Amino acid sequence: MGPIVHIVDDDKSFRIAVGRLLEASGFRVISYESGDDILTRLTGSEPGCILLDLQMPGLSGSELQGCLAQKAPLLPIVFLTGQAEIEDSVRAMKAGAEDFLEKHASNKALLGAIERALLQYEKRRTQQDHVHSLHALVAALTPREYQVFDRIVRGKRNKQIAYDLSTSERTVKAHRHSVMEKLGVGSLAEAVSIAERLGLVDPAA
Amino acid sequence: MVPAPKVRSGQTVGIPSGFPCLLLLAMVLAANVASAAIVERVPRVLILYPLDERTPAPVIVGESARNRLLEVTTGKIDLFSEFLDLTRFSDKIHIDRMARYLAAKYVDYRPDVVIAIAEPAANFIVAHRSTIAPNARIVFSGFGSDTAARMKLPSDVVGAFTEFDIAKTLQMARSLQPSARHLFIVGGSSEFDRSWLALARKELALLVKSYETTYLTDLTIDEFVERVARLPSESIVLFLTVSKDSTGRDLIPRDALERIAATASAPIYGPFSTYVGHGIVGGNTVTFESAGLAVADLTADAIGGKVIANVDVPQTYVADARQLKHWDLSESRLPPGTVQSFKEKTLWEEHQRLIIAILVVLALQGLVIGGLLVERRRRHGAEQEARRRLLEVVHLNQSATAGALSASIAHELNQPLGAIRANAEAAEVMIRGKTPDLKLIQQILCDIRDDDQRAEDIIVRLRGLLKKRSEIDWQEFDLKDVIKSSIQILHAEAGRRNITISFSQPVAQLPVRADQVHVQQVILNLATNAMDAMLDAVSTERRLVFQTTLTEGSEVELSISDTGRGIPSGQLARVFDAFYTTKATGTGLGLSIARTIIETYGGKIWADNRADGGAVFRFVLPLAQRG
Repeated sequence: MGPIVHIVDDDKSFRIAVGRLLEASGFRVISYESGDDILTRLTGSEPGCILLDLQMPGLSGSELQGCLAQKAPLLPIVFLTGQAEIEDSVRAMKAGAEDFLEKHASNKALLGAIERALLQYEKRRTQQDHVHSLHALVAALTPREYQVFDRIVRGKRNKQIAYDLSTSERTVKAHRHSVMEKLGVGSLAEAVSIAERLGLVDPAA
Repeated sequence: MVPAPKVRSGQTVGIPSGFPCLLLLAMVLAANVASAAIVERVPRVLILYPLDERTPAPVIVGESARNRLLEVTTGKIDLFSEFLDLTRFSDKIHIDRMARYLAAKYVDYRPDVVIAIAEPAANFIVAHRSTIAPNARIVFSGFGSDTAARMKLPSDVVGAFTEFDIAKTLQMARSLQPSARHLFIVGGSSEFDRSWLALARKELALLVKSYETTYLTDLTIDEFVERVARLPSESIVLFLTVSKDSTGRDLIPRDALERIAATASAPIYGPFSTYVGHGIVGGNTVTFESAGLAVADLTADAIGGKVIANVDVPQTYVADARQLKHWDLSESRLPPGTVQSFKEKTLWEEHQRLIIAILVVLALQGLVIGGLLVERRRRHGAEQEARRRLLEVVHLNQSATAGALSASIAHELNQPLGAIRANAEAAEVMIRGKTPDLKLIQQILCDIRDDDQRAEDIIVRLRGLLKKRSEIDWQEFDLKDVIKSSIQILHAEAGRRNITISFSQPVAQLPVRADQVHVQQVILNLATNAMDAMLDAVSTERRLVFQTTLTEGSEVELSISDTGRGIPSGQLARVFDAFYTTKATGTGLGLSIARTIIETYGGKIWADNRADGGAVFRFVLPLAQRG
């Protein structure tokens, strides 16, 4: 099963035409006539991307963008608009759109954008898988071990941690060892990296 | 017969020196006789004509005198006429016989006054007054004062002298024909004719030196005719009298003149007014009418017992307008005061007052009409100018509207274009495949055609907004269709702004007569204003509602209501004023133009606030009458 391209456009004729083009190019296509339609029907469990019209009655393209980020964060969004305004495109890109095309765009441009979006999907998917496995590792820590992990990735010393947890430095050292082992990392830097990926610490902090 | 001439220069032939004394005596006697003559009855006047009734000159004098006497006495007068025929019967036996006859005839009707016309009649009555009219005053006319002196008339016989001036006649000819070189003077063979010729030689002695002068005399009437027909150019003919030709044949001078003039090769002039109309161009004369009037006045005075004395009948220039025209002589060269005969009265002369009145009326009408035309042209021009300006402004505003909607319009147009492109490319990809789905490709081609049509429809809808027109395109259309078309144009923009447009289409037709593009312009204007007004409204509550109502069956009302912030109270009346705007980028012309357009088509436009917030703009247009 190939990736699915979700087309959201209120213009039926355009929807069908683009659907045909993408199907002829080897994609699976699911069409939606409005924002509400896709929010109701989208499962988001399969690989793919979303082609989104910017101007639609009801939920507008950018409003829909927010909703979809919640509902299907892995599916990259490519905007297709009949009328491109810089303001709109900047807002869309800032909000995470993968691309911003005009409806008049060529086959090549459209397919290129979709290919990139699907790669992006793969990337996101891989990242997500990785994060999932990291989550599993972290989840395997005992509560005491997690407390120690949480503190070492924030750069606290063993003595401090022992003080915080009202235990001995030796005990902390033992937990620390156990944490490094469970997470499969050999250095503090690697542990910090996992914490960052899982959003446990703010890398900028 | 015509009267005997007299030389007016007065140097060679003068009035006898005793004449004034005689005149005085005559007047005294006349007074005495007259006072004795008039009794208490209708006065009697006998008019004696020297010739027969065919000869015009004396007849004219007599008739003129007769009419004047009837006029001054208001008809209370007995008038008698006798034609003595003294040239044909000139022997003494006839004269005596005539005298006896008249004496017997008037035995019971003795005249109070006898009017003798011309010398023969005067001589006759003077000789026979005692038997015919013993107590009558004798007055005469038809000859000059020196003839009177030669005749040795009794002192109580007075008259109106007719003095003919041949020189003045020639002067007239000279004035009319300044370049003439030849002068021909025509005279007959009778004694009377010869007296006129002699006078002419004498009187014209000085004047003829300017011409090569020929006297045509002693010729037969036929010879006269022939000679005058072959005159050199630049000639003047002076016709005196021809009462006998060289064969002794009796002629009436006027008739002779007429025969000669018929084939004349040069203009003819003559000294008698009776010649006018019979071939002369003109001359200086005493008219026989005026001679008659003068003698009648003497007669009336005599009857009335007044003192009477000799008078001169005034001389006048006469001319024949037809002859002037015939010889191509300039009327302006005629001596002043010339009486023209046979002058065709122009319409002007005949109906001068009427024509003036008509002209005045026409001129006034012309002025009024001209004024109105100018006014109309000006007004028409101004109206056209105003309409042109309005159309320009409307066009500008349409362009502005089109500009404001351009993003949406581009989007609208890119839908079908994008679909066409995608379809075409899909078909291309399919055809390159191993087993192209021809049925699907056929469907794609079908869709491409439909989308192309859609694009065209959009362009057609927009064309009116962009096309510049110089005239109002009056047409009848269904207001519904224009509303729908406007909504389609607005559709994309409304979508972009999350505005819901609703229009529940009426079942009835809404025929109006106007320029469709203008009405669409008004709708778009009101709608875009309404959409602008909803910028601040909550997204889910942005509603633009179109609604039509038939009012009293003769008008259709369209209301466009929004869910915006409404119009500030107190500004409702001002929103249609030019340059009133609440928008930072507005020109304030849109609504003003909308009002102008609606009023142009006989409608009204106004604005209100809705009770639950938002504004509503309405306009009415008269329904087109369906035959």
